[in-house]
Amino acid sequence: MAETRGEVLQGTLDLIVLKTLEALGPLHGYGIAMRIQQVSADLLKLNQGTLYPALLRLEQRGWISSKWGVSDNNRKAKYYSLTRSGRKQLLAETENWERMAALMTRLLGRAEGA
Amino acid sequence: MEWLRILALRLLTIFRWRKLENDLDIELRSHVDALAEENMRRGMNEKEARQAAGREFGGVEQTKELYREQRGLPILETFLEDIRFGTRMLVKNPGFTIVAVLTLALGIGANAAIFSVVDAVLLRPLAYQDADRLVTILHRGYNPVAVANYIDWRDQSSSFEAMGAADYWSANLSGIDSPEHILGLQVTQSLLPLLGVEPLLGRLFVAGEDQKGAEHEVILSYGLWQRRFAGDSKVVGKVITLDGQPYTVLGVMPRTFKFAPFWATRAEMWVPNAFGDRIHSREGNSLRIFARLKRDVALSEARAEIATITARLEQKFPGTNRDVVVTPLKQNVVGQVKAPLLLLLGAVGFVLLIACANVAHMLLARSATRQKEMAVRTALGAPRKRVIRQLLTENLLLAAMGASAGLLLAGWGTPALVALSPASIPRVDTIRIDARVVLFLIAVTALTGVVFGLAPAMHASAVNLTDTLKDGGRGGSDGNRRNRLRSFLVASEFALALILLIGAGLMVRSFFALQSIDPGFNPHGVLSMAVSVAGTQESEPHRRAIFYRQLIERVRTLPAVEAAGGINHLPLAGDLWGWPFAIEGRGKPLPGESPMAVYRIVMPGYFETMRLAVLRGRDIAASDDPSAPGVVLINEKAAREYWPGENPLGKHITFDDDRRASPTWLTVIGIVRDAKQENWAEAPYPEVYLAALQNGGFLGEPESHASYITLVVRTKGNPATLSGSIKNTVWSFDRNLAISEVLTMDDVVAEANAEPRFEMALLGVFAGVALILAAVGIYGVMSYSVERRTQEIGIRISLGASRTDVLRLVVRQGMVLALAGSAAGIVGALLLSRLMTKLLYGVQPTDPLTFTGVAVLLTSVALAANYLPARRATRVDPIVALRCE
Repeated sequence: MAETRGEVLQGTLDLIVLKTLEALGPLHGYGIAMRIQQVSADLLKLNQGTLYPALLRLEQRGWISSKWGVSDNNRKAKYYSLTRSGRKQLLAETENWERMAALMTRLLGRAEGA
Repeated sequence: MEWLRILALRLLTIFRWRKLENDLDIELRSHVDALAEENMRRGMNEKEARQAAGREFGGVEQTKELYREQRGLPILETFLEDIRFGTRMLVKNPGFTIVAVLTLALGIGANAAIFSVVDAVLLRPLAYQDADRLVTILHRGYNPVAVANYIDWRDQSSSFEAMGAADYWSANLSGIDSPEHILGLQVTQSLLPLLGVEPLLGRLFVAGEDQKGAEHEVILSYGLWQRRFAGDSKVVGKVITLDGQPYTVLGVMPRTFKFAPFWATRAEMWVPNAFGDRIHSREGNSLRIFARLKRDVALSEARAEIATITARLEQKFPGTNRDVVVTPLKQNVVGQVKAPLLLLLGAVGFVLLIACANVAHMLLARSATRQKEMAVRTALGAPRKRVIRQLLTENLLLAAMGASAGLLLAGWGTPALVALSPASIPRVDTIRIDARVVLFLIAVTALTGVVFGLAPAMHASAVNLTDTLKDGGRGGSDGNRRNRLRSFLVASEFALALILLIGAGLMVRSFFALQSIDPGFNPHGVLSMAVSVAGTQESEPHRRAIFYRQLIERVRTLPAVEAAGGINHLPLAGDLWGWPFAIEGRGKPLPGESPMAVYRIVMPGYFETMRLAVLRGRDIAASDDPSAPGVVLINEKAAREYWPGENPLGKHITFDDDRRASPTWLTVIGIVRDAKQENWAEAPYPEVYLAALQNGGFLGEPESHASYITLVVRTKGNPATLSGSIKNTVWSFDRNLAISEVLTMDDVVAEANAEPRFEMALLGVFAGVALILAAVGIYGVMSYSVERRTQEIGIRISLGASRTDVLRLVVRQGMVLALAGSAAGIVGALLLSRLMTKLLYGVQPTDPLTFTGVAVLLTSVALAANYLPARRATRVDPIVALRCE
């Protein structure tokens, strides 16, 4: 459903959003989208709309919370911020991700070597 | 628990839908706006910037759809949407909706009402603790037991936690207001505790209180406590007067407590049973034995044990321990009514099926006109599953509306049912519409919705896109499949209706057969009442004889009284004693095989009052007193049974124990017509009538259940109007005489027939409803078919078909269905009516008259229902028919 240059897995998108909110503090959907684009240097491009169901999902699970506010250019916008359980989740997810990445690297490296 | 919280969160969104939609709109719009602004800053014009923003964002509506799915519960939302849509459809077709809802309401309401009865009477456990472990131990499952046998069974068995016995008892309660004759039971100390019901006030009997000398204690029922003691909370410990004796109130049972549940059901007080010297007696069977099975003992094991014990005792005391049966208590209580209630439940089930069939072809007819809607939906990409779901939701909605209306119907019908139900149906006082009934209703409703809705929904959804969307789709011949289904539905309706009508017809025939039974006496114009002397000065033997005679003489002098007499137990309504006797000059009979007769004691004037003919010999006269030789009259059955080919007149019999050296011989002085005894439909047993004034027991027995006389009075005009003056005549002797059971003999006879009348009435009503529904069904189908075939009929007429031809064409089509259904129904009825055998009297379950009559009735109704649409068909104007469409 998302037309991207790099495939974005659901879990990955969750992790990216959580990390973004940790790094930048409370942010609206547009801001999160911009940040992802900026960091990935357009390598990872997602339909920005898909961000919203993901934000809702994270909110339902209690990892982020939202509050209406006003954006820099004076627009009514919903600001998302990391909750305490979101922070915990981020830690767990990061660890998980790193373990996975290390495993993949080892696996792929060995396969290349053989 | 996490998923539960999320589920709740998502569920709650339903109630905030509008606000959440608004929020979402704002949030997404501001995002897209921000993107567009950014693009414009990069130098695009507004239009380009917006388009680019749209691309980057990736479709606002799609995003919203994804978001909604994440936010709420898509299944539920679709369901609610379907309901909204369904409601609109039903509101748009009020005629269809009203007829369908009413039809369903009839079916569902009748089911709920009957189920509430079946549930309360048959399904629910009795109101005792672990009632399914309670059993009775009785001769042949219902006859009473002798004291010594009870004691042996109790002491020799090990299958039971406890065993107890109950005996008939009654007493005059005096000392407060007017005296009242109150029915009760004498119970062993073990009996009440084994039921596991705690008293509301006070305590139960404790060990030793059923020994001789300590029996002047009483436990009251809630009803008696309320009625006679105004619910006095300090009643425990008080002394009340029963039969002139002081009794201490030990306790009061709770409101729901009833004992015994199947015999002596009107008992309102319980006293300890002191067996005294009866503990060695294996005669005078009067006890009902109740027992609680041990936890780990199966009914079959208990039966085997009792069989062993009684076989042993039978060897030792021949004739005393035969046919002893252990029966679950519940079977004693509901065994008699099970068959008729299940029959009624089956009947309402049929009514519901017919209602479903009617609604189903209404839906089928409508689905034809909705074909285009379905085609459009399918063309727009709705999967068939989704269309069926939409239609089923509509049907469930219809069923739910029908159920609500049906519940109203049941709420009104159930109390009416209870009010009409005969006293012989146990536990009617517990019938109500409660959660269980509503649950049943919901299950029936859901089932109904699917049953009548699935087939039409499958049909409606299976549309051929191109054919339907092409304009000529309508008016052509109707799909074959749909026709077949509709024909099947109509035919089954007729089959079901026919079965119901035959059931009802058989009940009607049986009822009239019962009505035409001659009771042997003439009940019209006779009033009866029990006058009890217990606890009064008239109780003394010599005074009692004088009192009974003077009472009857004084009643005879009342204006409008034609005749008066008295008897110990009134036929059909009163108690019934079977008594063994011996015939002079015959050898000693084998144990347990003595001649037996129903034992009546009468005052002079009884036969005249009841118009019970003395066929040979003479009536009992006033001169048959203690100074004259003992006399007895016998009924025809006794004459045939015990003196076949002989003249019984002048023969001698005795009821005295053969141990006595010189028994009192009674001379047979007359033969009386056979009269009804206990059950209306039962053939009479041998019966004897002894002279009251010669009967020491009748005149001397102090116990209140034996110290009363049932006065019978034949009056001119309505007997009920005389009850006041007769009561006053009684009380002119003594204010303390208790009067009870004031009944006209017509009422007694009506009560004896109440159960078959009730069953007949209900079955008749259900069959009537079924007939109407079936007629409406075939009428609807034929009207629809005529409407669809207007064009064809127009062509036929323009080609020269006469009115008669058209009439015949349409009627034949309908009649083929009706007759095919009826034929199937007759086969079904032949199979099913056999189940009614036990409920029928004087008519075979395959009674040809009923079968023919019902078939003719149903055919005429079908003809009439066919004729109307057929006549309409003959009025088709060929020009109009060919031009339209």
